[in-house]
Amino acid sequence: MMNTRHVWAVARKELHHILRDPGTFILVLLTPTLLLLFFAYALTTDIRHVNIAVLDYDRSPASRAFVQQITAGEDLDLYAQVGSFEELDTLLVHGKIKAALIIGPDFSRDLMRLQGTPIQVVIDGTEPESGNFAVDHIARRAETFVTETLGRQLQGMGLEAASLSPLDIRVRAWFNPGLKPRNDIIPGMISMVLGVPALSVALALAREREHGTLEQLMATPIGRAELLLGKIIPYLLVGLFNVLFIPALAIAWFHISLNGSFLLFFLLSAVFLFAILSMGILLGVFMRTQAAALALSFLLIFYPGFFLTGIFFPLASMPEEVRLEAMFLPGTPYAAITRAIFLPGSGLEVVWPYAVMLLFQGVVFTGLAALFFRKKL
Amino acid sequence: MNPVIVSSLTKRFGDFTAVDDISFEVRRGEIFGFLGPNGAGKTTTIRMILGLLAPTAGSVRVLGMDARRETAKIRPRTGYMSQRFSLYNDLTVIQNLRFYGAAYGLGNAQLQERIRAALQLADLEGREHLKTGELSGGWRQRLALGAAILHEPEIIFLDEPTAGVDPLSRRTFWDLLYRLVEEGVTVFVTTHYMDEAEHCHRLAFIRRGQIIALGAPSEIKRHKMRGEVLEIAPENAARAVEVLRTARLEGALPLESVELYGALVHVILPEARKHRKDILRTLQNAHIRVHNMDVIEPSLEDVFIAAMQ
Repeated sequence: MMNTRHVWAVARKELHHILRDPGTFILVLLTPTLLLLFFAYALTTDIRHVNIAVLDYDRSPASRAFVQQITAGEDLDLYAQVGSFEELDTLLVHGKIKAALIIGPDFSRDLMRLQGTPIQVVIDGTEPESGNFAVDHIARRAETFVTETLGRQLQGMGLEAASLSPLDIRVRAWFNPGLKPRNDIIPGMISMVLGVPALSVALALAREREHGTLEQLMATPIGRAELLLGKIIPYLLVGLFNVLFIPALAIAWFHISLNGSFLLFFLLSAVFLFAILSMGILLGVFMRTQAAALALSFLLIFYPGFFLTGIFFPLASMPEEVRLEAMFLPGTPYAAITRAIFLPGSGLEVVWPYAVMLLFQGVVFTGLAALFFRKKL
Repeated sequence: MNPVIVSSLTKRFGDFTAVDDISFEVRRGEIFGFLGPNGAGKTTTIRMILGLLAPTAGSVRVLGMDARRETAKIRPRTGYMSQRFSLYNDLTVIQNLRFYGAAYGLGNAQLQERIRAALQLADLEGREHLKTGELSGGWRQRLALGAAILHEPEIIFLDEPTAGVDPLSRRTFWDLLYRLVEEGVTVFVTTHYMDEAEHCHRLAFIRRGQIIALGAPSEIKRHKMRGEVLEIAPENAARAVEVLRTARLEGALPLESVELYGALVHVILPEARKHRKDILRTLQNAHIRVHNMDVIEPSLEDVFIAAMQ
């Protein structure tokens, strides 16, 4: 039986710990948001201003317009127009350019005839990220170029632009049309920074044990489950506060759009916080000191956050056992939920299996924590 | 029925027997002292009585109920002040009191009144909003007592409440305990201070998990004392102890123990008067002048030192 008065007594006390002075309060409250800012900048793989060279065998108005189109903006910078393949090779070898665009001699003629025309892109294989970025960028701009320059002309001839594709373009980036890696990282990163309240709750429980106040607490009529729940509540509030803040930051600062429902995101974030806080309290139950709790939290909350939750490496490319483990970390389903709601704007009909997984994890962790708490005084 | 009944209580941790088949009862309205050196099993016993630790064997009944299974009914009627300082240093005095009051389910009106009483008891009126960590040891310990009795428990368990507190604060603290007893509260207190043990109505002396003496201090002195205490005031007490201990080891004198008491030496031996002259002679041979030498009433400390030999 839960006595709400007991739960409230513990929750209020815990809140007093957090609120004890304005400095600590702001720190605890804003840490996840600040971490997001820090991580996003430190770990960003956003690529801009990639130097390329152009070898234009056609030298027609059409090819010049094409080059201009490709190098407009901040993504690709035209480092040099070269006259021979050898020059191009030298630039690549010396690392002056990351990619080169070679336009064939029949470029404008093929375009006018609405025929396929070869465009070659050479990239520096030692920096595949920049090279691939250039390839994707060129492919995308080429499509735009074709549609824009030839579209009106074709319409005049009574043909539909959409049905034509003189350039064979296969690369497409779904959900992330700007191909900005940040778009993909930020939603996953949110799941990691929201692990901070879980760390705090693990520390809070270990601190009680370390200071001997836990023994005192256990001699009061407050039950074990009431104690654990009372401890979780304030950190859940701190977490939810950050859930309000973080999408605002992602949208305003990183120009990421929230395509799905904010309410759904908020509710599922609450479920995630329940799961991750349960995990935190379970760690706190097992750890005798704050130092140990801190170390284990990093090992189980943040470290897997980097590798296992699919933020940086797709889960699909991991061995089976590791994937199974990742399923027991609340960050894994939550990263999937966040990405799905932010980018393609999916609804509950898509993310519900992940939500069920989070609920399951939360219940299992809380149950284990309450079970082992008794034996671990 | 006595409020605390401990029967054949045993606790083993692996091969180590921390509490070894102990039995005793605490009577209503008394100060019961649980005395023993560090590591003797005091805290383990108090934890079993409070239902925080499962005994290996034996049982504990508190207020007529099973200490392990009926904690929910026992806890609102008992108070506990754990060994280490049990309040939150980063919270204020009033926050600590409110928390413990709420933990014991006190409603608002009752809580207000009880907090006022606790502040008065701890002499902390006007200091409600100080951080608890900023209080001195004596204040904090009185505050911890105040917090432990907010819900007006029938029995209060105190685990080494005065460890590390200055002597004046210790005396004040014991005055508070007497006040509680006058109000009808039963007090169970563990300590390793002998002078505090003298203040208890009854006490149990525990050593290596076993009770080696149980009863009122005067009874223990009468029954447990093997021999008499001779108090010697020599010129050089440290030297005198050395000389007498050598004599004891060599079998020259039938001494049970030789202990330094500040500038005095306490010697425990059977038939002190008979051996007075021999002791005096031994000291004089070692060129130690003796100012005074008397057979005295033994203190508890003398009793326990004799019992430990």
